[in-house]
Amino acid sequence: MSEIYEKKLLDKFSDALIEGFAKFLDKVRPGWYKKNKARVDEWKLMAYALNRSPPGLIGLALVIVFIVLAIVGPYIAPFNYDTPLTAFDRDAYLAPPGTVITIPNTTAAKFLGVRSGNYTLLLGSDDYGRDLFSRILYGARTSLIVAIMVMLVGPWIGILIGLVAGYYGGKIDEILMRFTDIFLAFPGLILAIAFSAVLPPRIQYFLNANPAVRQFFLSLFSLKVQHAGSMAYLVSVIIALWIVWWPGYARLVRGLVLSARENLYVEAARALGVPTRWILLRHITPNIIGPILVYLTLDFGGVILTEAGLSFLGVGAVPPIADWGRIINDGSQYFPNSWWLVFYPGLMILLTVLGFNLIGDTLRDILDPKTRRSIEFKLKKKKQKGEKNEV
Amino acid sequence: MKCMSTPLVKVVDLKKYFPVKGIFFTKGYVKAVDGVNFEIYKGKTLGLVGESGCGKTTVGKLVLRLLKPTSGKALFEGKDIFKLRGKELKEFRKKAQMVFQDPYSSLNPRMTIFDTIYEPIKIYKIKVSDPEKFVVELLYRVGLNESHLYRYPHEFSGGQRQRIAIARILALNPEFIVLDEPTSALDVSVQAQILNLLKDLQKKMDLTYLFISHDLGVVRYMSDYIAVMYLGQIVEYGPAEEVFEKPLHPYTKALFSAIPIPDPEITRKREKLRVPGEPPSPINPPSGCRFHPRCPFRQEICNREEPEFIEYEKGHYVKCHLYSRK
Repeated sequence: MSEIYEKKLLDKFSDALIEGFAKFLDKVRPGWYKKNKARVDEWKLMAYALNRSPPGLIGLALVIVFIVLAIVGPYIAPFNYDTPLTAFDRDAYLAPPGTVITIPNTTAAKFLGVRSGNYTLLLGSDDYGRDLFSRILYGARTSLIVAIMVMLVGPWIGILIGLVAGYYGGKIDEILMRFTDIFLAFPGLILAIAFSAVLPPRIQYFLNANPAVRQFFLSLFSLKVQHAGSMAYLVSVIIALWIVWWPGYARLVRGLVLSARENLYVEAARALGVPTRWILLRHITPNIIGPILVYLTLDFGGVILTEAGLSFLGVGAVPPIADWGRIINDGSQYFPNSWWLVFYPGLMILLTVLGFNLIGDTLRDILDPKTRRSIEFKLKKKKQKGEKNEV
Repeated sequence: MKCMSTPLVKVVDLKKYFPVKGIFFTKGYVKAVDGVNFEIYKGKTLGLVGESGCGKTTVGKLVLRLLKPTSGKALFEGKDIFKLRGKELKEFRKKAQMVFQDPYSSLNPRMTIFDTIYEPIKIYKIKVSDPEKFVVELLYRVGLNESHLYRYPHEFSGGQRQRIAIARILALNPEFIVLDEPTSALDVSVQAQILNLLKDLQKKMDLTYLFISHDLGVVRYMSDYIAVMYLGQIVEYGPAEEVFEKPLHPYTKALFSAIPIPDPEITRKREKLRVPGEPPSPINPPSGCRFHPRCPFRQEICNREEPEFIEYEKGHYVKCHLYSRK
């Protein structure tokens, strides 16, 4: 299908990527490629449309950079997130970006796991002499993990409630949606603040009782064992966001299901005797997944922003955990003299959220067949015009 | 009508009222189906005709239990389908199927043809050794081939889609199929193909059809029996040829005289029975005979008493005062 369009290098790259993925799936499940050729073509078309959308590509690049930083950040960071460099060099106190510090070869340095030598503090340091660059890298990990944990549970509660309410209608719908309204009636942020203020002691207790879970979270957040108590605050933010994050999805999905279930193919499936669960999963969900996916992507940035906001307000991450919102909060008392403590984490939040928003917007255009067709159509026309001019 | 065998499908005094909701309470009811009786014998086709909004499709959905009736019974193989539970209901769902009017929206756009046709087999856990071969065989039976297997519905024409919809229900070996205007969304040339396919399948598989349509030519071609519906009630019922040759009810006469004949000579000379006005609202149907406000042969009794459904000739029923005094 996509052969009618002129292919640039980027398209060839994305085609090869998709082709490779399809071949991989074919290896895992023999015969997959043959059965899903139409789908692979569709993917290529989507990639083609994405390649023609500069905002989408910028968003994709920002998101990829963020994710890569979050994954490898703790390994490439020059210092740990809580290493007080002022212990070695007085210059490290609120050092502006580019300051060079010297770390002597002492037992204290060995104890803190810092090798001696000269270091350039790329983005400066804070009032404890902690390297801002390292803390921002660790902060990326914190943001990503919190966002993923929230998105793995929160929206799905809403999606499930929306599916059930929308499909069954009647009394079930009424009960579920009034329940949702109760949650919507509270301002989300306030509710989240309340929960994350109340939950930590219980979570600390729970984490102490279950060392395996504690270890799992510690390695996810890339934190030291002695900071498990502070980590409980992050976990409570995650749980608080689960509780406030689903009502929007319940509303959205219910609306989508209400319109999707009126489709004739749903009635045809019912006439065939297809069980309700199956109708919801195979007939309704695939046809409303587009808007949900867009909303999820846009919300990923939203979670990062909310989490940073909570930390900024002092109810999220607690010191010494590296978290963008927390860094801004701690640095704000030295603003504007030590502007870098506010500027760089703020810039990171901005770029990350912008990336998710751009990609979400582009996904909306690409996933909706109508707008995608119009993109393709425009390109086709453009190409034809170009050919005429050449003649 | 009084055959030796029992009918496969029997509908007794079926009613379906849809509530019209006001702000606080129900304002009234749309009497979509108001006391319908008919029987369909195995291997036969009953054509259900009537203008739009007379409740044809509602009847079709009721006899498949896609809607709950307000009152009345529908028997399938002697059992009331509205009382079926569990295993029996599943068995009924398997045996009774429906082909929908609009093939453009009755197929899930996100499922390949293979998935669409294979779905019922999966649901009813029918054992198939080679799913692909099984589906291809079904495709051949409806005049498609294996090259169509892994495509999506939007790649097909209306006629092909209707064939896919038919293949899907054939997978289950049904006994009774409700055809809800299966050809009205198709081109004339394609219509004939689909109708012939349906007739073919009926002969081969001994299928029983309830054929719902407003296209009288098509109904005449397909049906063994005909039931004419007006405003939620059946006004005439009988063997197809007899009803067409000798329509009794004024509404039936008017309906048949409106069949276009592709010959201007005949059309000009032909005597036409015109029915003025529009069908009344089914929320508040006329008293007495429902057809009386539009009937050219209206009598005094018509707006007072509802006529009975009488057997005017053997097997030919009519609901009209013109015939009840005899």
